[in-house]
Formats: sequence, structure tokens, C-alpha cells
Amino acid sequence: MNDPAAHEIPVPNMDALVGALLHSCSEHVLETMFFAAVFDNADPAAGIGCQRVASRLHFHGKPSGDFEVDADPGIARSLTAGFLGIDQSEVAAVQEDEVMAEFCNMTCGSALSSLGRVEYFTLETPETSRPREFAPAVEGVRRAFLLEGGTLSVCLRVDFHRT
Amino acid sequence: MALHILIVDDSPAMRAFIRRVMKLSGIHVDCYFEAANGEEALAQLAVNRIDAVLTDINMPVMDGETFVRKMREKGPFQSTPVIVISTDATTERIHTMHELGAVGYLEKPFGPEQLRNELDRVLGVHHE
Repeated sequence: MNDPAAHEIPVPNMDALVGALLHSCSEHVLETMFFAAVFDNADPAAGIGCQRVASRLHFHGKPSGDFEVDADPGIARSLTAGFLGIDQSEVAAVQEDEVMAEFCNMTCGSALSSLGRVEYFTLETPETSRPREFAPAVEGVRRAFLLEGGTLSVCLRVDFHRT
Repeated sequence: MALHILIVDDSPAMRAFIRRVMKLSGIHVDCYFEAANGEEALAQLAVNRIDAVLTDINMPVMDGETFVRKMREKGPFQSTPVIVISTDATTERIHTMHELGAVGYLEKPFGPEQLRNELDRVLGVHHE
């Protein structure tokens, strides 16, 4: 009865749980801190091979893993403007890098904090790459969203067996 | 009441966001001070009147845990209220920060209302 393994969620269900959390946390972060509305779900594979701004981070603890966000350049710009409360024409490249890194940090942290089996974690500093042909660097649960003017996708890989 | 607020975060974008949300929340802030890490924050505290500190945890040079511990060790800012702003809302982290002396904890994502409520609660005042 007290064996923790007896309460573990089977892997396929865990992926579904991570996907649901990823979806709700991404929407919540976009609406609360970026003042951006999600219109619909999008095809998670649609951005592959297209020009995208991407930000990634690794986290360690119990569990460890990786998180990645990629977005159309126009979406990265509009999210930056929304976050900082400035006009899109005023957005500098360095601000876009910082804000995409913040989105990465917040969404990953929010999803992990909502995941019941998490004991502790430390997020490493995200790295943002300028617009380039996108190839996913993280293999995990991916969700994509249609925003005004383009798409944004997020991917979370959680490893419960390594710290 | 016009406040003097110290924002401690290594991300300039996050510091700008917090200032923006403070304004949207209707809280009257007289003066903002900013620091990119705990070490810079201690230096700001030493020379300025600060009514409340809003701090991140993960920062280079000196992180939020060390910063709050050092604030509480000694000195005139031993009792200055500290609100932690973090993505990490695990029970363990929140407990640790409260043990160290933080009086408030705001989980990202947050909006103007949450920030206002937490500041009102911590400072025991209502802002117009």
C-alpha cells in the first residue's frame, strides 16, 4: 500500500497529463503576462523547417528534463511588445531574446509546479536563437497554438528517473 | 502612501514587466530601485530607503535564497518585507523561502490584481 511505485501513473497517461498541463499553463501564461489570446490549437509539426525564434532550457532536480518554445518571428515580436507594454516598432532584438527566454522559464516552471510528482527543480538559464530554420531540439510532449498573426509551439520532456 | 520598491531580477525584461504591472495595478510607487542579483540588491538597500523588496530566486552572482538570508542576518533592513516572485511554486521552495524570512510569495504567471493583493497583505495597507 505504501509503495510509491503503486501510485505511479503509467507512461501513456503521464504524457496525456503533461500535455494537458502544458496546454493550460501555456494559455494561462500567454493571457496573464503577455496579454495574448489563443484562438485555436495548431499543428505542432507545422513550424518545422520554417523560420522560427526558439528558446530552450534544461532543468534538473526531481524530475529533470528539457523545455523548448518556438514561434513565428512576428509572434515573438508581438509577444515582446505585449509583455513590455511597448509598440512593436520599438522592440529590439535583445528584448525579444529576453522575453522569449522569460516565456520559456515561466511556462516550464508553471507546468512543473502543477505536476503532482515533482519534488524540486532548478531551471537553468534559457538560450534563445534568432530566427532560423527550425528543427526541434527537444523530444517530448508538444503542443501548438494559433495566436493573432502566427503560431507558437511548446515542448516538454520530463525524466522522472534522472536528477 | 507612496512606496519605494526594490526589484531584484537578472532579467531586464522581467524588471520592466514588474514595473508595468505595478502601474496597471494602481499602486502608487514613488521610486523604483533595481538590481540584477542579490549582491547588487544588498548594495541598494544599504544606501536607499526601501519599503518592500520583490525578488526572483534563480540569479547569477548571488541567488534569492542567499540574498534573503543575508538580509535577515543583521542590519537596518532586517525587517524590510520581502516578496518572492518565482515560477517555482513547489511546496519545498515556498517553505524554504518563508523559513528564510520572505513574507510573501507570488507565483508566475501573475497579473496586476495578484501583485496588488500580495503587496496590500504584506504592507497592511490599501492603495487607491
